[in-house]
Amino acid sequence: MLGRPNLYTSYAGESRIFTTTTQKVVAAIVIVVLFLMPFELPVINQIPFIRFLGDNDYLRPVSTALVYIIAALGLNLLVGVAGQVSLGHAFFMGAGAYAGAFLGGQATSTVYGHGLPIWIWLPGAGVTAALIGILIAPVAVRLRGLYLAIVTLGLVFIGIHMGNMDWGRRFAGDPGLGRDFPPIEFALWKGQEPLVTAADDGRWLWFDVNQAEKTYLILLALTLVMVLVAKNLSRSRTGRALQAIRDRDVAAEVMGIPEFKYKLMAFAISSFFAGVGGALFASLVGKLPASQWNLFLSVEFVAILLIGGVGTVSGTILGTIFVVLGPRIIEEVTRWLDRQTEAEGPVATVAEGVLTEGPGDFGPVSVATQSPGWPLNVFDWNVVIYGLLIIVFLIFEPLGLYGIWLSIKSYFQRWPFSY
Amino acid sequence: MALATRGTEQSDRQASSATIASRARHWALTTPDKVAMRQKDFGIWQETTWHEVWDMVETAAYGLLALGVDVGDRVSIHSEDRREWVILDLATVAVRGVTVGLYPTNPSAEVEYTLNDCGSAVHLAEDQEQADKVLDLAGDAFPSLRRIIYLEPRGFADYDDPRLLAWEEFLEMGRRHRETNPGEVDARTVSAEPGDVMTLVYTSGTTGPPKGAMLTNANCDFAIETIIKNKARMPAGRLPGPDDEVVTYLPLCHVAERVFSTWHLVAASPVLNFAESADQVNIALREVQPTLFFAVPRIWEKLHAGVLIRGADASWFKRFMLDRALAVAGWIGRRRVENLGNWTAATRVAYAIGWVLVFRALRERLGLRHCRYAASGAAPIAPEVLEFFIGIGLNVYELYGMTENAAVATANLHGRMKLGTVGEPYPEIADGFRIDDETGEIQVRHEGVFAGYWGKPAQTAETFTDDGWLKTGDVGEWVDGTHVRIVDRIKHIIITSGGKNISPSEIENTLKTSPYVNEAMVIGDGRKYLSALIAIELDTVGNWCLKQGIPYTTYRDLTEKEEVVQLVQQAVDRTNGKFATVEGIKEFRLIPKELDHEDGELTATQKVKRSAMEDTYRDLVESMY
Repeated sequence: MLGRPNLYTSYAGESRIFTTTTQKVVAAIVIVVLFLMPFELPVINQIPFIRFLGDNDYLRPVSTALVYIIAALGLNLLVGVAGQVSLGHAFFMGAGAYAGAFLGGQATSTVYGHGLPIWIWLPGAGVTAALIGILIAPVAVRLRGLYLAIVTLGLVFIGIHMGNMDWGRRFAGDPGLGRDFPPIEFALWKGQEPLVTAADDGRWLWFDVNQAEKTYLILLALTLVMVLVAKNLSRSRTGRALQAIRDRDVAAEVMGIPEFKYKLMAFAISSFFAGVGGALFASLVGKLPASQWNLFLSVEFVAILLIGGVGTVSGTILGTIFVVLGPRIIEEVTRWLDRQTEAEGPVATVAEGVLTEGPGDFGPVSVATQSPGWPLNVFDWNVVIYGLLIIVFLIFEPLGLYGIWLSIKSYFQRWPFSY
Repeated sequence: MALATRGTEQSDRQASSATIASRARHWALTTPDKVAMRQKDFGIWQETTWHEVWDMVETAAYGLLALGVDVGDRVSIHSEDRREWVILDLATVAVRGVTVGLYPTNPSAEVEYTLNDCGSAVHLAEDQEQADKVLDLAGDAFPSLRRIIYLEPRGFADYDDPRLLAWEEFLEMGRRHRETNPGEVDARTVSAEPGDVMTLVYTSGTTGPPKGAMLTNANCDFAIETIIKNKARMPAGRLPGPDDEVVTYLPLCHVAERVFSTWHLVAASPVLNFAESADQVNIALREVQPTLFFAVPRIWEKLHAGVLIRGADASWFKRFMLDRALAVAGWIGRRRVENLGNWTAATRVAYAIGWVLVFRALRERLGLRHCRYAASGAAPIAPEVLEFFIGIGLNVYELYGMTENAAVATANLHGRMKLGTVGEPYPEIADGFRIDDETGEIQVRHEGVFAGYWGKPAQTAETFTDDGWLKTGDVGEWVDGTHVRIVDRIKHIIITSGGKNISPSEIENTLKTSPYVNEAMVIGDGRKYLSALIAIELDTVGNWCLKQGIPYTTYRDLTEKEEVVQLVQQAVDRTNGKFATVEGIKEFRLIPKELDHEDGELTATQKVKRSAMEDTYRDLVESMY
């Protein structure tokens, strides 16, 4: 109600995504800006941050982040909303990727492939992953906490092993190089000229768009749809049931929520998101060996949730952006510092102190790409920072980046009081 | 909008001898889809439109007819504020019955007294707890009572008293009765006369048993025309209207809330918002952000204390900003008070800056951001509290009235406000308002003056002068020839053994501006000097002790702490500084328990029963002399 944001006259009003006009306007502006970001626009490109992302150089990591968001939303639904710990997310992503490749990829003498269009292989990837999720769920539903984590961890190794077996290679290709995945392009049926393709440069409406820009725009649209689905799921009856199970499964069952059914659903939906995300990720990369769907990938997604904020869609998005783009930014900063050493002044002195450019330098960061032992290079530092962040967030801000946002928000919402 | 305005004018014309029921029906006919009430239920404000309201009123009215309620029969309502309270009230008036409200806190003995005193025929009990207050007494304790309607069915499964009737069954009876006797309610409503008694409002009874003041349709009509439709009262002359929001939370059986909620609803069609429960008022305020808000001094004091206490607990930057803002608000308040409540250029500028930084948020937190008219009444309030609210941009107009004159006496009008006074007599009653030269008592004579106490002709006669003026029992004095200041109740004036006349209320109210003082009672009639019994505020004093690291267990334990006594002493010293030496409080004692209605220390309206207090705490009082 106008001027009375806390006056809810229906439950629908209370569970709305955006309750005030201001929120709606801000959301609309953000979405428009996201779509315009790749383009050279007169005024908007003067804004520093947008300019920085508008560089085509950054579109690829940003596109990767979009795909990661889809997969992370799935894990969030399972871990954050339903409270079922899972380390097997990489397995479901891989299952989706190979289901997509089986349906949409090109057949060669060594691998299967049916060359079907994206509107079949992308949902197919999700559904296959979901079906596998349903198969595994009866086991998983009976377990809790650490045991569940170990069982799902096992899935990852089983998956990699299967990919390396003879019959698995027919899906996954050579264990060293992997196989080709279908490109992101929309055709009506296999063999037909694609209506929309991200595989080459072209012209959409009034804009010249290149390959990276097209990929970004298509993925952005897909991600927005998936975000909306995830958001709606978490605020629907299903979402509330899952949250009840997370908070206390026995109590939820007493309240009339069939635990088995909803846990099964959580696994299925989570795996669907993972499958779609995995298939898109594989398409984006182009060629991947089966060993890429490993424990590290699973852990990366757990980290996304922990850093971003478990149980919330916005937290998941924040966490993904942070985890995927963070290393890139650190790399960029190092490169920038490296350039500064050539100049004079206080910045150069700091840069000299931080960086190690050759023997005799004692800075903690090495600019060399290969640097065994101390000083560590940028990539090693990334891993260190990553680990530190997870520890820091677990101890100080269990709600993650979203928690930080919440406390900033409530600081102003409670103004001029503290409670 | 144009439609709604025309509707208001129409109602003005045709409602000259209207009842609250016919006024409600008018809104239901002209604006059936407009929301009339909201009631919070499981976190959601469930809306009821005028059409639905009137449908329920009519059904309930037929239900009353089915129960044999005749013209002038009494229907009593014992419930917290909720939709059904207003609906049954309107339904009762629609069939020319008499509504009698009871305070939800009334204990069994008072319920028995009231029901028998008014001779209630039909009684509405909100839930099992309220019904038990009636059912616990023997069946023949209420000779006139025919039916007990209950709203909340929980707990009634095992009850087999034949008088019990669930609200839904009652409405069903009404529907059946409507089918067999269509038009009967309309016929009753139309036959209503201005002289019909529409409600008995029981006085709180600080002395002696409560008396039921009879208010007629004409009284109510006069109050609506004089108070509610009084442009001079409202800022910018904008009368209450369909866009306004009201939070209904004070007991509806009290004349103040009845005027401000039910009578406002039927006169101007604002939305009535019923909070989930009485102690959730703060939350309701924040959510509803009412545009019209009436509160008793206790509530204003609590809101004010809340700002101070929560402000002191805020983190350092917030505290810094709030302190600055409150200093500015204090200055704005003083300037505006000097200026009859009007803005000056300087205060406007200061307020605009403060609005952006703090005041807007502060008023939002309090739930008064959209409030365009606020009033205080029913008891005296300390000017400091009013000044604070005026400083944060909210004019709180002090009103004065009483049950016996349908709350029509004086009001601070917009732009002519004088702090410490209760304002000017309404222009309509200028000739019917006087302050007796001899006793200083305020006396009134107008169409709002009640028809007498129910069944108590002797006491009614005592209330009137020989020439027919209503004796209010309040001592007043003129300020600048236009405004009226209330000195005290005649009965409360203290005459010390030195022969000095002292009004205790002022001193008590100044004491109560301290957030640590909940209630204070000044004593000194026939004594050498003044003393006071003080009840501390558990929340704030407890909070203070927590911060000082003073451990405590119970309320009683708190009152016995030396530090707490010192804390209250500071408040007493501050108060003494504002009064003449003879009016200074030499001694005080803290009351070792929280004052309570059930223990007979407070009336249902939370007023101190002086005689009862003096009896209960005789030892404490004597120890001070």
